[in-house]
Formats: sequence, C-alpha cells, structure tokens
Amino acid sequence: MINLKINNTSIQVPTGTSVLKAAEQIGIEIPTMCFYEGFTNHPSCMVCLVKDTKSGKLHPSCALPAEEGMDIITEDNEIISARKEALELLLSDHVGDCEAPCRQACPAAIDIPKMNRLIAQGKFDEAFVIAKEELAIPLILGYICPAPCEKVCRRTQVDEAVSICSLHKFVADIDIEQKNFYLPTKEKESNKNVAIIGTGPAGLSCAFYLLRLGHNVVLFDKNTEAGGALRYEILNKELPNSAIDSEIGTLQNYGAEFRLNTEITKELFENELKKGFDAIVIAMGDFDKSNLHKFGFENGKYGISINKNTFEINQDGVFACGNIIRSRRMAVTSVAQGKATAWSVNQYLNGIKPEKKHRMFNSKFGKLFSEEIEEYKKETIPDKRIILENGKLGNFNNAQAITESTRCMRCDCRKPTTCKLRNYADEYSADRRKFAFGERKKVKKHFQHKLIVYEPEKCIRCNLCVDISTKEKDTLGFSSIRRGFDVEISIPFNKSIKEIFNRTAEKCANACPTGAISLK
Amino acid sequence: MNKIVDNIIAEKGTSVDAAIPILQAIQAEFNYLPEEAMQRVCDITEISPARLYGISTFYTQFRHKAVGKHIIKVCVGTACHVKGAMRVYDALRRELNLKDDEDTDSDDLFTIDKVACLGCCTIAPVVQIDNTTFGHVEPGKVSEILEEFLASDDNPAGENSYIVEQNKHTDGEIRIGLGSCCIASGSSDVKLELEKSLKANKTNVEVKQVGCVGICNQVPLLEIHKHGETPYFYTKIKADEVNEIIRKHFKSKNLLTRLKTDISGFINNYVINGIPRSVMKYSSERDDTPVSEFLNGQINIATEHRGFLKPNDIVEYKKLGGFEALKKCLTQFSRDEIIDTIKESGLKGRGGGGFYTGLKWQLVKDTKSEIKYVICNGDEGDPGAFMDRMLLESYPFRIIEGLIISAYAVGANKGLFYIRAEYPLAVKRIKEAIYYCEKENLLGDNIMDSGFSFDMKVFEGAGAFICGEETALIASVEGNRGLPRMRPPYPAEVGLWGKPTLVNNTETFSVIPWIIRNGAAAFSNIGTENSKGTKVFALAGKINRGGLIEVPIGITIRSIVEEIGGGIPNGKAFKAVQIGGPSGGCIPASLADIPIDFNTLSEAGAMMGSGGLVVLDEDDCMVDIARYFLAFTQDQSCGKCTFCRVGTRRMLEILNKICSGKGQSGDIEILEKLAHSTKKGSLCGLGSTAPNPVLSTLRYFKHEYLEHIEGKCPTGKCVELIEYLIVEECIGCTLCAQDCPTDAIAFKPYELHIVENELCIKCDICRQVCPVNAVIIK
Repeated sequence: MINLKINNTSIQVPTGTSVLKAAEQIGIEIPTMCFYEGFTNHPSCMVCLVKDTKSGKLHPSCALPAEEGMDIITEDNEIISARKEALELLLSDHVGDCEAPCRQACPAAIDIPKMNRLIAQGKFDEAFVIAKEELAIPLILGYICPAPCEKVCRRTQVDEAVSICSLHKFVADIDIEQKNFYLPTKEKESNKNVAIIGTGPAGLSCAFYLLRLGHNVVLFDKNTEAGGALRYEILNKELPNSAIDSEIGTLQNYGAEFRLNTEITKELFENELKKGFDAIVIAMGDFDKSNLHKFGFENGKYGISINKNTFEINQDGVFACGNIIRSRRMAVTSVAQGKATAWSVNQYLNGIKPEKKHRMFNSKFGKLFSEEIEEYKKETIPDKRIILENGKLGNFNNAQAITESTRCMRCDCRKPTTCKLRNYADEYSADRRKFAFGERKKVKKHFQHKLIVYEPEKCIRCNLCVDISTKEKDTLGFSSIRRGFDVEISIPFNKSIKEIFNRTAEKCANACPTGAISLK
Repeated sequence: MNKIVDNIIAEKGTSVDAAIPILQAIQAEFNYLPEEAMQRVCDITEISPARLYGISTFYTQFRHKAVGKHIIKVCVGTACHVKGAMRVYDALRRELNLKDDEDTDSDDLFTIDKVACLGCCTIAPVVQIDNTTFGHVEPGKVSEILEEFLASDDNPAGENSYIVEQNKHTDGEIRIGLGSCCIASGSSDVKLELEKSLKANKTNVEVKQVGCVGICNQVPLLEIHKHGETPYFYTKIKADEVNEIIRKHFKSKNLLTRLKTDISGFINNYVINGIPRSVMKYSSERDDTPVSEFLNGQINIATEHRGFLKPNDIVEYKKLGGFEALKKCLTQFSRDEIIDTIKESGLKGRGGGGFYTGLKWQLVKDTKSEIKYVICNGDEGDPGAFMDRMLLESYPFRIIEGLIISAYAVGANKGLFYIRAEYPLAVKRIKEAIYYCEKENLLGDNIMDSGFSFDMKVFEGAGAFICGEETALIASVEGNRGLPRMRPPYPAEVGLWGKPTLVNNTETFSVIPWIIRNGAAAFSNIGTENSKGTKVFALAGKINRGGLIEVPIGITIRSIVEEIGGGIPNGKAFKAVQIGGPSGGCIPASLADIPIDFNTLSEAGAMMGSGGLVVLDEDDCMVDIARYFLAFTQDQSCGKCTFCRVGTRRMLEILNKICSGKGQSGDIEILEKLAHSTKKGSLCGLGSTAPNPVLSTLRYFKHEYLEHIEGKCPTGKCVELIEYLIVEECIGCTLCAQDCPTDAIAFKPYELHIVENELCIKCDICRQVCPVNAVIIK
C-alpha cells in the first residue's frame, strides 16, 4: 500500500493506483477526456493535470502512478489555467456546431433540428413537445415570425432554407386538430402569485413559463380581448384571430387568469398589484413611455431601464420585458424575453438573487466550404423547398411536412450533452476563438456504418477508438496516421467505415469523448 | 511484386517488430511504398493494416507516392537555414517548374524534398542529390548543380581503397578524412585522384583514410607524413591539385612518369600561375595556422586519436589501447566497481537530459530480470548537430567497446544500435565494426573467455526526431509509431519488450573506455563543479572555422566562437549562439563569457541538448530563428499531447503572423503564455522544451518582436517586411536583370537598374550577383 496526500487529505491506495483513481476514492473529481477505464497510461488530452507540490510540476493524473509520500493538489489557479488552455487548444482544432446555427439564431432557442427529425419520423406530437419546450406560442409565431433561424439555415448553401417556421406551425396545428392540447407537466405549486401587465407575446410567454414553474399568474390588459400587439397591431389576414384565441385558450387551460379591460393606474399598481402579488411583470408594449416616471420607474434610452441580465427594474419584485424596455421588430424576441423574465421571477420568488440563465457553451464555425456542402448533403434529401401557395398562411399536409423536415441537414452535434469537450469548455469558460489563428480544417462525415457516424474534424486524437478496436481485435479498426498536428484517425487503405468495424463500433462511440464518433 | 515482398518478409520476419525494416526494404526496392506491397505485407505477416499504415505515415523516410529518378534533398537544418536554405529550395522548385502541390518534375527526373539536417552544417547550405552532396549552394547556381549532377551521374564517388603492397617499405603516409562532410566537400574525388596519381607515379605511400578530422571548414584536407619530416596539412584541396602536391613531396619511382609529370607539371604551373589558389599549406609545427588554432583548446576523449585513426581498422584500434578497457572490466573489475567508476567520474548523459550515467546503470543493474538490453541512441535528429554521426563514422569500435562495458556492468546480453537511416555511412561502419568484433570474439558468446556473452545488431531509424526520446525509441524498435509514454516507469525498469533497458547516447558510450582506462579522477578533473569531462559540439553557422569540436565543459562561449571558431566572417558582429537545437535557446553575445555547463545553460534559457552550436550574426532575425525551430518541433511532434500537437502549431502560427507583419498587440502575450503552458503540460522532453527557442528569444530579444509588430524586421530577413532596392552605386552591368527569375528587374545597360517590387519574390539572387553591392534591403 502507498500513502499519499491529495488536497491535504491523507489516503492509502494499492501500488499501481493512478492519482486520478486515488482522488476518486476520496470523492475528488478530476476532469478527463482521453481516459477510459481499462486503458491505462493514456495521457494525451492534458485536461486531467494535477500538481505535485514537491516538484511544482504538472502531471496528467490519469497516468501518474501514486507514489509514497506524494503531495498532490488537484486544483489551483495554475492548474485551472493550464486545463483551460488545453481545452482552448482542442477547441481551436475542433470543427463542429454543438447546437445547429438555426437554434443558435433563434432568440427562443428552439431545438429545431430535433423537432425536424421527429417530424421526419412522423412523430408530430413529440415534435410539438420540443417546439413548446422553448416557445410558448408556436402557432402564432408560425404565422408572423420573420424566422431568423431560416436565414442562417445551412441548407441555404445548397438551395433554400428548411421552412422551420411553417413546420412548428404545422405541429401546433396538428396538436389542436387532434385535440391533444399538450401542456407540459407543472412543477410543484408554490402558492406565489405573479401579476403580468400586458397580454402580448412577452406577457403570454412569461405567463406560460411561470405557470410551468408552479406559480399562479394573473394577466392584466386594458383591452377587451387578450393578445396585445398580436391582436391589435398585426393584420388579421396575416395572423388570424383564431390562432390567437387558440393559444390564449390553451394558456387559460393551463391556469392563467385574464383580467381584461383593466387600465393600470398608479393606484392600482401601488395598492392592488404591489400588495396583492409576490411579483409583478410589466409587459405592455404600447405604454406611453412619458408616463413611466409617474410610477417611479427609471426611464432609460429606449424605455424602462432594466438589468439586462435579469429584467429587474428599480423596484423590488418588479420586472419588465417586451417592447416596453426596447421596441423590437420581432415578436420572437419578446417571447424569448418573457421566458427569461419568468426564469428571473422564479428565482426571486424562491428567495434567490436572480441571475441570467446560463447558456451552455457552443462550438460553432462559419460558412461551409463548397466541399463541405457535399458532406452535409450526405445526410439529407435533394428535394427542393416546398413553397405553399399562401406562404405562411398555408398548411403543410403530413407528407409535405415530412419531406420538408427531412431536408434538414442535421447540423447539430449528436452528443450535445455527453460531449466532454463541450461540458468542460463550459465549466472552464474556455474561449473557443483564443487560438483561432490557422485555417480551419474541412468537415468530413462518414455515414456508411449502420450504427455509427464518424466526423474526423471533431476528433481530439485521444486514440481510444484505435486502442479499443485493436485490443478487441475488430476487423480492421481505425488507424492513427501521420504525426504532429496532422495526426488523423483514419480508415486504412481507403476502405469505408462499414468495412473496418464489426464488433466495437458501439463501444468506440461511447468511449469517444466528443461527437467525433457517435451513434446514429 | 508479391514475390519481391515475400522475399523481403522471408528475410525480415513476420512479427510486428519487423514492420519498419520491411517497409525500409520495400522502399529500397521501389523507391516508395506501393499500396499493393503494403497490402501484401498485411496479408502474410502479423502486422495489421492499421498498424502498418500508422507506421508508414509516421516516419518521414517513407513515401507513398512514386518519385522521380533522382531525389533532391534540400537540407533545412539550422546552419543551412541561417545561410538561406529556403531560398535555395525555392530556386530549385522554380528551376524544376514545380507547381505548389507538386514535388516531382514533369519528366519524372527529380523529386524535391526538404530534410531536417544532413549533418553537413559546416558547408551550408547543402543540397544532396541521390548520394552526391553539394555544399555552399547559392540560389543563382541551382541550374549548374543539376547539370553537373546529370553529367556525373554515371560516375559516382566511391569508397574503394587504394591498397599499398603488403610488407613493403613505404615512403610515408597520406591521411585523408572521409567523414560525410569531407565526402560532400569533394574528399572522395580527391582520394580517387590521389590514388590514381600515386599509381601513375609508382609512389610507395600509404593512403590512410581516417575519420572526421573535425576541421570541416577546411576540408578536403590532406595530411602528409613523411619519415623524418614535419607533417604538412593541405586544406581545401581540389582533385586537380592533388598531382602537384604528391609530386612535391614524393619522388616518382618511374623515370618516364617523372619526366612526364615534370613537363606537364611545368605546363600546369605555368598555366595556373596568377590564378588565386584556394589550397593552403601549413606546417603542423606552427601554432598560428587555422588548423592549429582550431585544434588548440580542445581535449580529445570521445574523439581520441582524431585525424589519425582509421575508422574500420580493428588492428590499429587495438594497437592504440582499444579494448583494453573492456579487458580490464572483464578481468579486474566487479560490476559494481565499473558502475562506481562511472559514478565517480561524474559523467552525465550526453544526449541532452544530463542524467547521471552511473546512476542510470545502477538502476538497470538493480532491476532483477533474466533479460536486459542496452541501446545506443544514435538517432541524432537536431537540425544543426552531427556529433553522433561523426562519432559513429569515425570511432565505431570505441562506441562498441563502451556499449559492451555497459552491458557487462548492468548484466545485459543483448544490445542495439539505433541509428538514423539518414546516416548511411554511420550504419555501414558500425555494421562492419560489429562484424570485425564478432570475428575477434569481442562480441558473441564467452567474450575474451570471460564467460560473458553479448550480441548486438543495428536498427535503422526511419526519420522521426521524437525517436531520440528513449521511450519513443523503444516504441519504434518494437514496431510501433514512435510515441513516448509516461515515465515512470523508466526504461531502466520497464524498457524494450518490457525488460530493463539501458539507453545511452552515442557520445556517452564513446567516453566510457577512456574513463575506465584513465580512471574516474582523470575525467572529473576536467569540467565544472556540476558537469564533468568534455562535450562534443557541432560548431556551425556564421563562423569562420566551423566543425566538430570537443572541449572541456566550462569553456566559455566566447573562447569557442573567437578562438576555436576564429570569429564571425565578413566583419559582422557576433549576435548570439543557438545552443541545444530545438530544445535549446539563444544566448546573446552579452552572455558569451558564461562557462558552458548543464546548469549555466539552462539558467540562461538554453540547454546542453545534444550539442548543436549555431553562431548567429547581426544579420540574423531572432523572431525568424524562433519561428524556424518551432516549425521544426511542430513538424516533429508525435502528436500525442494537446499542448505539443496543437500548441506548437498555434505558436508557429502566431510567429508566422508576426513575421509577416500581421502581428497585433497582445500576440506576444498569448505566445508567451502558451509557451509556458506547453512547457508545463507536455509529457516528454520534446514538448516540454519546444517553447525554449521562443522563450529565450523573448527573454533577450523582445525588442525585435515588438519591431515586427510595428511592421519592421530590423535585420531584413522576413521577406514580407522587406523590399529590395538598387542604389546609385549600380554600374549598370545587367547581371541582376539577367539572373532575376521573375523579370522584376529590367535590362538597362549602363543605367541604374530598378527592382519592380510587385514582381519581386525576394529570392536575394540580385543582391548575391551584384559586383558592387548596389542591391540593398530596405
């Protein structure tokens, strides 16, 4: 047995134990990427660096054997900075989108590729769940959203964008037609009451997410009907009232209370709202901004002045979102703000100081090179975009929706939550552009295997797949070729990936720390 | 093709570790690796395609595409780099009309390739076409070189010996050095001419072919020893001058020839008279000659009997005390006594790391195992270093003796020479020497009737700098890609095939016999407090007398540069020395008085490394030097660790950015931080020392980096930051216009010529051909 200290804790381990494993025994987690149980002495990623205090040197803990009298530190500024720099170097040579460009461009961040894939499989109700997850009013926006997602759709480099907007309208329509009226399960009731002033896109969205988080919501509006700008500014021929009614109806079913014909006066605000509710959200878009000071709100350059991260204003428990903070052209921006405000309000109600919801790290790269377009075309169909006669007012039939969604090129990563590179980049706040000096490599995709997909430019050269297929004597397996920066995990003798894997494909995909090898 | 491959496999074996030798043999046969042949290897051996493909793409020696009839290797080692190797390379590409992605000309006659170092640093820049080496190549002269090569294609220089009739009284001895540099400088031709001349004159003189003399800057060099006369050196001889020299010293036995030579000699002299002669003659007794100044201050331990010993003459080696040390070890010393002697001598490994040799031996001895190995690391890969090559070529028996002693001391019965395939002469001489030793029972079973048995063979490295690292070297012998692994366990415990293995550098082995013969104290008396003995350096770059030197540790940089090396040529100012190659650093002239040892060098930001010492003058751009080494290490990185694989590439990109005038403020900080992280976060010596050239130039020459960021290269080296200009001194001779490869200079006889900068590719030819120095860099 060997005695050593890790982070000042004494520990005894059998001879041959690595520092990584020793630390694990006392509950200290060290990040690893190239390490995989059963494959020892495999340091390459250098994310598991720890410090030997005696020499002051950094060592990869996965391959560092514990030695008698060792004194190890697993985290200090130097270690963190080295790990971060290792991640940044790996990112500088990692070509891939964690989330697809469409999702990144969408203010509400709908998981568009996933929705598309479900539609393509004919699972329309599941697709609707995905749409509704991030977008409270997918039907309404299906009519009026200018669709920033479609502008960045990589399919535009082939022919035309996928009709994303019409697709979420399609699944929302189906939900109503089939009388599913899907609503997500609410969290435990909090017995907290929130007043929302205004029933436009921001207010409706905020209400939906607050309800979902378990709070009671009352929406106030000066008009006789709810919908705000959606109903009173947008022409009926662009957005039929039936669509507004339908999604407001759903919200009512979910538990929202509407108090219409109610003009918010200073008295009402101070006496009823402030006293009767635990929090207030100001979301009326067309408020006369010169009156703001009467309520004691601070007036900024564009409207009510808010904390940009949390939507709090200068009064405790009061939040503001939508056009009242700044006039925007896109309803989807207001919808996204309503959602973000609900997040802040929820923290406030739970007695936590509101903080902006963390947006997960995203690796991304720009426009596709022409060779890359061909790679992306491998995972889609050549069909042209289906243009409906009435444009956004029109409806896809099922077959059309399936075809249109199948045109999606699957730009998102297959391992968005299990990719260690993404997770650690997020944890260490890595800057993916820090070392972006060289020409980026060109994306390639290998689909021939029935179980796995191989995307070499996402690889971090940990060689686990080579070792696994070699050790378990698969047909041919991958080969690590060339050296230095040009090392590549390649398929020997110009074979196809189908021919080289027989048994270990799945294991390789699971071991792969990034999305380079993933299950189909 | 299958038949050929089958024969190769029959000879090399079918096991995994035969992969590299098999590929080498296939390439020797076809000049590249045809895919069909690779397939065949996989079909009938244990080597999987994944492994074979991994190996064949790892080592630079292997080619996957058919090549031209002749291969042009442009050396881009450090010494060649500072003397304009890239311009030579570009000029050759232009001459062969190669497009960007091509390396073989349209006639399939020549394939061009860059090589890390041919080890002929003293005659830089160097180009090798097949087996012919050309030194001092100028970009404007590349077409002549190709023509000359094609003209002499049927007449290759050989190493055949002229044999004096046995048992006859000789009138004297002529010694000629035949190291690789000497051969590259024309020594083979001189030797052929010498033998022809001696035969024609019937002169009874022994021509003795000796190893590297070290004075590489003065070669071809002849030493004439005549009974009862002062020996004379002749330096920089040309083949056509040999006859005259012979005639001066030795009278012809053949009257007729004597008459003839007298007459033709007279005519020759008459014709030659008035033409400046390059040959210089020096008496060995004077101490103010370039030769004696060069040799003064040197101590010959690794290079004992330099310029005298015939490399593959075992009889002579024995006569001079060879194998006495071995005999002493086998008969008088216990194993512990040998190891104690080495420990007491204070010898540190000469490969760069500087670990105590005695301790290493002790570790291997103390590890219990039936089988142990010793390996001589001759995978010298530093650009700008050629010590190991010279030692292997010149003193094969001494190194073998050192190796046998070490094997006896640690209890190993198998040994291996790992030598770069780029050193064919070294491989040949070691193989010959092993053969002689086996014949004389110095190798094999029951050596000298001592009961100790030891076998050894040669493994040819396939071109990977990283294989100089001991764990990578072992991986490569085992038939793998040369990837280092985590230490511990050290090879002393778990080495080749999992057995305890002693890996020492060539130079380390070469001093062992001397230490045993002369005692530990004799060695430890030389050197400094913490570093004992001598060190062999390859002195090259901007220096009057480059060459191979063995000096006592503790000598100052200034003594090496000014006394031994004779200072900087052309009256330029001494700026810095680059010591230790890609792992080392640049030490500025202001620190030239520090005594060189393992500690002082690392304190100064450099490293002993394996001993490359490249002198830089005022014209050398330090950012460019840092970039040069980074380009080398990033190309040679095995690609395992993130910091080395990606980090060195990113550092190189930052340096490229800075050198091309696109640097921004902040770049230097990112570079420096990344350099420190790479030092800390790399597994092996290559990665952890790769940032040294960057860090040391940042430490001493940061102002040059800053000037680049401002868009100026103070030395005019970075082509994207300079312009060529012709000034009033121009006499209108049109030479620049004639030689300009891009017609950027128009013909204007007797007028001031003008460089059109839009067309100029900055090849420097105009500046080199201008007779009145009217072409300047701005």
